Amino acid sequence: MSEDHHHRLPTTPVEARVEVLEALLIEKGILDAGTVDGLVEYYEHQVGPMNGAKVVARAWIDPDYCARLLADGTAAIAELGFGGVEGEHMVVLENTPQVHNVVVCTLCSCYPWPVLGLPPNWYKSPPYRSRMVREPRVVLAEMGCAVGDDVEIRVWDSSAEVRYLVLPMRPEAGEAVSETALADLVTRDSMIGVARL
Amino acid sequence: MSPGDLLDAGFAEPSLPRSNGTPTFDAPWQARALAMAVLVVEHAGRPWDDFRLRLIAAIDDDPERPYWDSWVMALDRFVADADLLESHE
Repeated sequence: MSEDHHHRLPTTPVEARVEVLEALLIEKGILDAGTVDGLVEYYEHQVGPMNGAKVVARAWIDPDYCARLLADGTAAIAELGFGGVEGEHMVVLENTPQVHNVVVCTLCSCYPWPVLGLPPNWYKSPPYRSRMVREPRVVLAEMGCAVGDDVEIRVWDSSAEVRYLVLPMRPEAGEAVSETALADLVTRDSMIGVARL
Repeated sequence: MSPGDLLDAGFAEPSLPRSNGTPTFDAPWQARALAMAVLVVEHAGRPWDDFRLRLIAAIDDDPERPYWDSWVMALDRFVADADLLESHE
């Protein structure tokens, strides 16, 4: 089952190193190839921003859930079945007309995997990591997310234990919209805080 | 310019799955390196932070190095520091 996953001829030193390391760890009985395949499948298909979108949509339609989510993010997110590595200490940041929240990891790439999947490349890039803290309004504008001067921008650095999820404001999207339809409106970037809905 | 346009332009492998329009990995070895890190940390019975701190150090070492290259360096260091490959022979 792993044939398709492997490049038989590594093209870069780092790729070759990964193959050697995997082979050594398998030889020592620390890993088995099937488990690695299974986890790759999991991170590629089972986790992603669609999970966070469900959390956000639920919070929009259910005030009690919203209150629980803001009080204890980890527990409320677990209610919907999401949790695990990089999601142990979740804090949910609510955007309001007065406050816009945005998340960064200045030191590496901490990111709430269970609800957003793996971070996009730009999130891991040195310019985003350094500039978002220094000049968030400018960086947000460059990313197409204009925030009015009357709105306070709060930048949250996830380098510690805590992982953040932004709860965007619910867009004016007609009436009697279903929870599923609302979830479809939620983008990954809006949950990082670099986009508004 | 959107963040996707700006920095995800390097993604070229069309067969990889995408979520919200962004591929999760730009090469299969990156996905394997990620999975290996999760499994090795678990096997060693260490908190995820033990890996994360090595990743921070590797990135700090050379901030311009490609992210997944730093990831593999951190994985190498974690494996070495945990003596996972040294035990017998």
